[in-house]
Amino acid sequence: MNRNSPFYWILMVLSSLVLLFLIAPLLGMFLKTGLGEFFETAKDKEVQESVWLTVWVSFAATFVFAIAAVPFAWLLARKSFPLKNIVNGIIDLPIVLPHTAAGIALLGFISRDGFLGKAASLVGLNLVNNSGGIALAMAFVSLPFLINSARDGFASVPERLEKAGLNLGASPARVFFTISLPLAWRSITTGFVMMFARGMSEFGAVVIIAYHPMIAPVLIYDRFNSFGLSYARPAAVLFIIIALVVFTLLRLLSVRRVTSVTEKKYADS
Amino acid sequence: MLILKNISKKFDKFRLIDINIEISEGTYYILLGRSGSGKTQLLELIAGLNRPDSGDIWLDGENITNKKIQERRIGLVFQDYAIFPNMTVFGNIAYSLNSGKLDKIQVKESVLKIATQLNISHLLERNTHYLSSGELQRVALARTLITSPRLLLLDEPMASIDANLKDDVKKLLRHLNRQGLTIIHVTHDYREAVSLAGRVGVIHNGRIIQEGDPEDVFRKPVNKFVARYSGIRNFFRVEFHKVNGEWKAFGKDNLVFNLQGNSYPARGMLIIRSEDIRIFSKMPSTDPANCFKGVVREIVPSESGMEIAVDTGETFYVDISVDTFKQLQINELSEVWICFPSEAVTALKVEE
Repeated sequence: MNRNSPFYWILMVLSSLVLLFLIAPLLGMFLKTGLGEFFETAKDKEVQESVWLTVWVSFAATFVFAIAAVPFAWLLARKSFPLKNIVNGIIDLPIVLPHTAAGIALLGFISRDGFLGKAASLVGLNLVNNSGGIALAMAFVSLPFLINSARDGFASVPERLEKAGLNLGASPARVFFTISLPLAWRSITTGFVMMFARGMSEFGAVVIIAYHPMIAPVLIYDRFNSFGLSYARPAAVLFIIIALVVFTLLRLLSVRRVTSVTEKKYADS
Repeated sequence: MLILKNISKKFDKFRLIDINIEISEGTYYILLGRSGSGKTQLLELIAGLNRPDSGDIWLDGENITNKKIQERRIGLVFQDYAIFPNMTVFGNIAYSLNSGKLDKIQVKESVLKIATQLNISHLLERNTHYLSSGELQRVALARTLITSPRLLLLDEPMASIDANLKDDVKKLLRHLNRQGLTIIHVTHDYREAVSLAGRVGVIHNGRIIQEGDPEDVFRKPVNKFVARYSGIRNFFRVEFHKVNGEWKAFGKDNLVFNLQGNSYPARGMLIIRSEDIRIFSKMPSTDPANCFKGVVREIVPSESGMEIAVDTGETFYVDISVDTFKQLQINELSEVWICFPSEAVTALKVEE
């Protein structure tokens, strides 16, 4: 585009404003947080436990749900079935629901009166105010990111490759694990990272299910509510930094090329 | 033996209709058809990637219509080869052996053996991203042949390879067939059929419209489509009349063809194969049934030598050898005579 064009400059200004809107609040928060109070907050055991709880529960929720969601995504990419469009709509539903409403819906399901709550109580587990309940709340609102990304990844794998695998005598399961999954791996990992990151940052649904134990977003809210902005800010900065580090590490992992089972098996032989 | 019995299958915008084919063991069968004619879909039905809506597929006396793909032992080489990009050449070829039934040494030996046969043993550790289309095709063939298929299906095997490699691939396929492997080879190119087929089926709009040995199909096409498809360029719309007890065909510009036979429709099409027409710089002293004077309009190299376009009012295409061409010493705009016997003329009823 011609740099002398007024349209070019209008685009530049508008883009800069959008970027500024995204960066300015975060930058302001970082600049207003002194190093002393930052490190003091980092040493705070309550904060450390909260961040750790957030990271591992979100990761566990993503990992456990991925076991079912990834094959489900393959099904959505490959098979036609009645009401498929409605199923696709249901998958996207958590994205458009107010998250507190999602939390309320989930609470009805996992409380002692709910179906899952009753089942859990049979084995002595109370999902409300429990890391299990937090994981369910995180998964409920973040699953669409994994399913949609994995479905797009499977759809981009040429179906002929799967057919070629079957034609060579492999079982459908072997074709899935040796061809479909490795070739869709990048999209699946991206979806995994997105689900994990979205789960970590969830507040609305989780706060309905479990105020305690406190995940980081709830802790930040609690500190803001009880002690004000300046007390909540260092915890928020710390959580953002940790989230960014984890997010970047997982993204880097997803770039790594996946070698096939066959290659690995025979590479050294 | 493979038997397709009354096979029909509806696809989104297309259908295969009442396909009946019998292919004996060891046959090289070419399925000839234009793109969209249904030839690939038919291969996929035989391989088991799709199931027919009706009809049966029998292989060696067994009804395999509803048998799973992975249990059919029918090898399919896809047009784009469908090489697994996440595996090396070795990984691709070893894929079917990697089910735990063979140990690593046996797998390596089998892969090396087939790779040596196909002259790709030097590529085994290579990533498939950097292979040429000819190499990819050999990898796909090796990957399929290592399964010892009962039947080999090839979808347009010459479509993506360089012209200079085609002869090598033809030699390889002919060699495999001579070793007893039944091959069904799908193509749009009649020349592949001529050079490879033991039997040919012509498929058009989802139907097999002619089947037989190549000589029969190409010498006696059942209709204009098959005739044109098999590379014959001399078609003339004519009216048939009996004159003094002999059948003649009347074309444009007072062209009169002398015919053999004793029954013709009122109107029709005449076909004369390019290689059946002889060309002379002077009126020949012998008396072939049909001789016409014309002017050379175009001279282009062809597979068999030179193709000469001669305008006699209608344009005739004549195929001659390079030696004959040199002897004739003709150029564009030269006056020539073209002659052919009445046996060289095939008459077809006009399709309405």
